[in-house]
Amino acid sequence: MKPLRIALAQMAPVLGALDDNIARHHETLEAARAGGAGLVVFPELGLTGYQLQDLAAEVAMRADDPRLAGLAAAAGGMSAVVSFVEEADDHRLFISAALLEEGEVRFVHRKLFLPTYGLFDERRFFAAGDRLRAVESRLGVRLGIAVCEDFWHLAVPETLALDGAQILINVSSSPGRDLAAIHEVGLGTAASWRNLMRTYAQLTTSFLVFCNRVGMDETVSFWGGSEVIAPSGEAIFTAPLFDAGLHFVDIELGDVRRERIGLPLLRDERPELHLRELRRILAERTDMAIDVASEPSAPSERTEGIMRRARQRELG
Amino acid sequence: MASDAGPGSGGPAAAQGALFELPEELAIDTDVARRVMVGFIRNQLHQAGFGRALIGLSGGIDSALVAFLVAEAIGPEELLCVMMPYKTSSAESVRDARLVVEKLGCQSETVEITRIVDGYFGDGDVPGDGGKSARGASQLRRGNFMARARMCVLYDRSVPWSGLVVGTGNKTEALIGYTTLFGDSACAFNPIGDLYKSQVRQVAAAIGVPEAIIRKAPSADLWPGQTDEVEAGFTYPELDRLLFWMIDKRRSDEELIVMGFNEAAIARVKRLVAVSEFKRQVPPVAKLGPRTTGVDYLYPRRRPGSARR
Repeated sequence: MKPLRIALAQMAPVLGALDDNIARHHETLEAARAGGAGLVVFPELGLTGYQLQDLAAEVAMRADDPRLAGLAAAAGGMSAVVSFVEEADDHRLFISAALLEEGEVRFVHRKLFLPTYGLFDERRFFAAGDRLRAVESRLGVRLGIAVCEDFWHLAVPETLALDGAQILINVSSSPGRDLAAIHEVGLGTAASWRNLMRTYAQLTTSFLVFCNRVGMDETVSFWGGSEVIAPSGEAIFTAPLFDAGLHFVDIELGDVRRERIGLPLLRDERPELHLRELRRILAERTDMAIDVASEPSAPSERTEGIMRRARQRELG
Repeated sequence: MASDAGPGSGGPAAAQGALFELPEELAIDTDVARRVMVGFIRNQLHQAGFGRALIGLSGGIDSALVAFLVAEAIGPEELLCVMMPYKTSSAESVRDARLVVEKLGCQSETVEITRIVDGYFGDGDVPGDGGKSARGASQLRRGNFMARARMCVLYDRSVPWSGLVVGTGNKTEALIGYTTLFGDSACAFNPIGDLYKSQVRQVAAAIGVPEAIIRKAPSADLWPGQTDEVEAGFTYPELDRLLFWMIDKRRSDEELIVMGFNEAAIARVKRLVAVSEFKRQVPPVAKLGPRTTGVDYLYPRRRPGSARR
């Protein structure tokens, strides 16, 4: 089987400069084609930059925007993942990643988990997506597309793999922080991401493609370090930290089969068990929910009753 | 917990002749730090449409490190170092500042602030324009005035130089409020404001700041013989460690005491941090209209169209 050539566009978008960034995407697609790529991956919000705040509404595009169609046309015989601020019909704004194939926007994944803690403030400006599914691709395998923080939640790579994905793609704008000499590459963020990705690739026995941006928005530096990880959990390719570049990586899709035959973790997954237990947990949680709006000294009657029954169960 | 560090090393070195004391939990990868700070300087200037920068060079380690970082980011020919001594500034400060200028090969200017300051406070028997209230002014008032006089000079010089003023304050002094508001803390941007003093020393050693500057006792040099550590009552490694565990690592007072920090010191530092909160924030604006800057009108500082050219 001919290897699949992946092009990782580890780039530095210009904050809020939509037209410039679209032009850069066109140039990169051209370079990727010249380099023989079958799949081109751009970073999270590569078309707009990350720290948008109130600019988000000003650079938003609908999924059927002709500018995206233009990129899809330019992607031609390749598959491309690009990321942008998506405005829905009801005017919610999403951080989205689109799969462009055969001249059209084939699929849009809306970021599910919007970090709003520490240096992040995404929920203030964006709506969270609520669909998670793998997508059929012209590459002959299903792809699982996720955006940055989505991968800090275990269920995301797991669900995508169960839904048939053989290549998991994470597009990121991960700000570098937690500088310390104790970390593998001097950067806590990079060390954590590397752990996650190797683990996910191995546990889902899938390829993992991670494209992280570089450059700076305001005060934060994005650290790059894009990677391709084999289904065995081994890194096939690691891009340099902080440097922009278009990197080509060849993968053998046959490795997924070999790995899954030898290490049939995915065969042995128990989604029905997981679902059953999740249902139970959810039911318990709902019943046990403490009414946070009430005073601590005045818990609701319902909560009291539940707590009492729980105590009795424990005693009994 | 603390280890002695040689130049550029995060690890222990022979105690004798060590350049400075570096608490091990504060050790950073200086290559990564340098990379980020240099990128930050380039990016800030580029986004604002400037190719040049200037700093107030005091002869101390903070401004020396920033001079080295700016020179690395944009080339020494695009950096102007302004020395602004007052008549009581130590000769050592001026000498060390010159050392940096020579080593980098950047442009420099000296503007004495003595007449500006004395013109206001008076000089000996000659009364100043500040009148009676200025005559017996405390060292603190005089020190703050000097810091602000330097800011005025620096911002004025930024116009003919066509550059941005780069900040030189570190995280330790910002957190305890050991800065003059609209004085030494005034700047267009600050590359080292998230580095503790111990980390400033670590990066300074790695980047080649002259040893004499790294070794000497830090001082605001606002009056003869003043040193930061005497004034604060802490050594920098002690203070940096406490701030690191208290703020970056969110340790409670009880946990800090168990770790061996002194209870009174914890209380004192907490108070210094709380009391100086106002110095670290943009002045508040009363909320009146539908959209208020900094509250619900939130834009990046730099966006398309915001550069001066």
